[in-house]
Amino acid sequence: MAETEEKDFKCLRCGAEFKLPYTKGVMQERTCPKCGSNSVRLDRKREKEKAGGTDKTT
Amino acid sequence: MMDVGRHPNIKLLTYSKVESIHGYVGNFQVKVLKKARYVNENECTACGDCAEVCPVVVPDEYQQGLSSRKAIYIPFPQAVPSASLIDMESCLGTNPIACGKCAEKCDKKCIDYDAKDETIEFKVGTVIVATGMDVFDPTILEEYGYTKYENVVTSMEFERLLSAGGPSDGHFIRPTDRQRPKTVGFVQCVGSRCEKIGKPYCSNICCMNTIKDTLLLKDHYPDIQAKVFYIDIRAFGKGFEDLFNRSKEAGVQYIRGIPGEITEDPKTRNLRVMVEDTTSNKIEDHEFDMMVLSIGVTPRLDMPEVQKLLTLSKTPDGFFMEAHPKLKPVDAPSMGIYFAGCAEAPKDVKDSVTQASAAAARAETLLSAGKVKLEAITSTLNTDLCHYCASCARVCPYGAFTVDPKKKTISYVEALCKGCGTCAAECRFGALTMKHFTDEQIITQIDAHLEENPHDKVIVFACNWCSYAGADTCGGARLQYPPNQRLIRTMCSGRVDEKFVLHAFKKGAPMVVVSGCHYVDCHYIDANRWTQKRVEKLWDKLEKWGIRPERLLLEWISAAEGQRFQKTMQDIEELRKKVTKDEIEHTVKVITEEEEKRKKK
Repeated sequence: MAETEEKDFKCLRCGAEFKLPYTKGVMQERTCPKCGSNSVRLDRKREKEKAGGTDKTT
Repeated sequence: MMDVGRHPNIKLLTYSKVESIHGYVGNFQVKVLKKARYVNENECTACGDCAEVCPVVVPDEYQQGLSSRKAIYIPFPQAVPSASLIDMESCLGTNPIACGKCAEKCDKKCIDYDAKDETIEFKVGTVIVATGMDVFDPTILEEYGYTKYENVVTSMEFERLLSAGGPSDGHFIRPTDRQRPKTVGFVQCVGSRCEKIGKPYCSNICCMNTIKDTLLLKDHYPDIQAKVFYIDIRAFGKGFEDLFNRSKEAGVQYIRGIPGEITEDPKTRNLRVMVEDTTSNKIEDHEFDMMVLSIGVTPRLDMPEVQKLLTLSKTPDGFFMEAHPKLKPVDAPSMGIYFAGCAEAPKDVKDSVTQASAAAARAETLLSAGKVKLEAITSTLNTDLCHYCASCARVCPYGAFTVDPKKKTISYVEALCKGCGTCAAECRFGALTMKHFTDEQIITQIDAHLEENPHDKVIVFACNWCSYAGADTCGGARLQYPPNQRLIRTMCSGRVDEKFVLHAFKKGAPMVVVSGCHYVDCHYIDANRWTQKRVEKLWDKLEKWGIRPERLLLEWISAAEGQRFQKTMQDIEELRKKVTKDEIEHTVKVITEEEEKRKKK
C-alpha cells in the first residue's frame, strides 16, 4: 500500500499555501482550508525545492 | 432461513461462492462455485453420530472459539440445509485408512470423501447484494488488553456465554475460573467513532445490543452488578428509549466516559479501569470480574471481491454506496443491483429486514415489468475510429467496455452505460460520441456564450446532478451571483473534455470553471475523479504554455449548496477582473499555435 505523507499544496482560487495528506495514486477530494475551493494543486515547485532539485515546469 | 430453504421458487445455494457475474440488468450470467460438503445433504438426517466418533477437535467459529467442534459438523443449530459437512482442512484425510470413522458410523452412507466442488452457471435478471459485515477485531487496541486478559471478552463472545445454546449451556461464567461473575463492565464504541483507527462512523447497533445484553443479564442474574461506559447512548429507534430506561430501572449503571486502559489484578484476575465520568467531572476507579468490549461493525474483508464482481463503489467508511442516499437507498448505481443489510451500512435486524423487503420489491417490480427503460443519454461507439487504446475501459465506472489492445477488439454494452460521458472525454480518437452532449453541441454553446465581449464572461461547466442543481438552489433562494457567468450543463463533470476548456480559452474566456459533485455524491460512482485528473493535467499544460493555471478552477458544489455556489461565483468574478486583455490575447495566440503544431504532427 502506498505511503501517505504530508505535501505542500496551493489554492488556485485564493493563493493560500498549506499542507495536506497525500497518497500517490489515491484520488482525494481536497479543499482549501482558507476559502473552501477545490482548486487545490500540488505545489511541485516547493516539493522539488525540499527534495533539493529544481522544478522543470518553470 | 428454513422458510427460504423450503420455498419452491427460491434456490438456496449454501456453502458456495459467486465466482463471476457478467452482463447487465435482466441478463446477468452468474457462475457459482458450490463447494463440496463431502456429505450427501439430501440423505443426511443430522443425527450427529458422525461428529461423535470424529477424533478431530477444532475451535467452534459459531461459539466464537469458546468451545470446540469436530471436523465433521453442522455449522450452527439452525443451519439450512440441516446436514453435516466435513471441514477438509481439519479432517485427518480422505483416505479411510487414516481415519474414516465418520463413514463407518454413518448408517445412511452419506459420507463421500471423493465429492468434488461443482461449478453452476445460471442467468438472473437482478442481483441483491446481502453479503453482511464483519465485526471489529479489538486486538489492535492494546489498551483494552483483549489478548492479554482472558476475562476481557467481546460483545459477541458475551452473547454466546449468556446463551442457553452457548459453550457453557447458558451458565454465565467468566473464562479464567469458570465462576459466575459478580460485576460486569461494558465498554462502548470499541472500533466505532474513532478516527485514530480509521473507524470514524457509528456502528449503529452496539448501544442497543449492550442495553439488551444488560437486560438479559439482569433478568437471569439480578444480583450481578453491571456498569456501562459510554460516549453517548444512541437509542433512537422505536421502543429503544423505553428499553434503555428499563435497563436503568433494572439497576444497570451508565457512566459517561470511556476507560483509557484496562488492567488486571494477577491474583484475583479481576479487571480495573480508571475513567473520567464527564457528567460529574470526577476520576473514578472501578473493579470488575469481567469486562465486555462492545465491538463495532466493519465492512467484510472480502468486500473488494464483491465490489469487483459487480463494479460497485464504496463510501469512505468502506461499505457499499447506494445510488442515492434518500431517493434510491437500496439501489446500486448500476441498474438491477440492490442492497440489503450491513453490506450497505451498519444496521440492526429491523432495518436490515426493511431494506431487504424494499430490495425484493424493487427487484420484483423490475422483473415483473418484463422490459426496462434504459438511459437515453448514452455513448455510441464508432469502431472504425477506435484505436483499441482501452482508455474508455479504464475510465468507465460501469464496466461497459471490454477492450483487448493486442487482439484489437472492443465490446461495448450500451445497456450498462449510464451516460456520464467520461469515455467520450477521454477518447483521443473521437470514437465515442455522447448522445445529446456531443462535442459539436458543447463547442457550439461555448461559441455562442463567447460571441460578444468574451473577456467579460466566465464559462462554467456544471454537472447536471449537483453543480447545476446548486445553481438552481442559489437562484431559488434569490441569492444573487454575477450575471456574466455562463453555465454549460453536462451530465457529469467527467464529460468536460480538455478541448472544451482550451476552446473556451481560445475564444477569449478569461476564466473557466469545471464544477461537479463532491466525491461522495458523484452520480456516476467515481467519474468525477477523472475530472480532477484531467483538470490537474490541464493546470500543468497551461503552466507549461505560460498561461496562469489559476484561470482554470475546479469546484465541487452539491445541489444543496446554493450559498457555496454564490460565494464561488462571486470569488471567481473578482479573479476574472484581474485577467487583463493582454493576457487573454496571449492565451489565444498560444493555444492557436499549439493547435497548429498538433495538426502538423
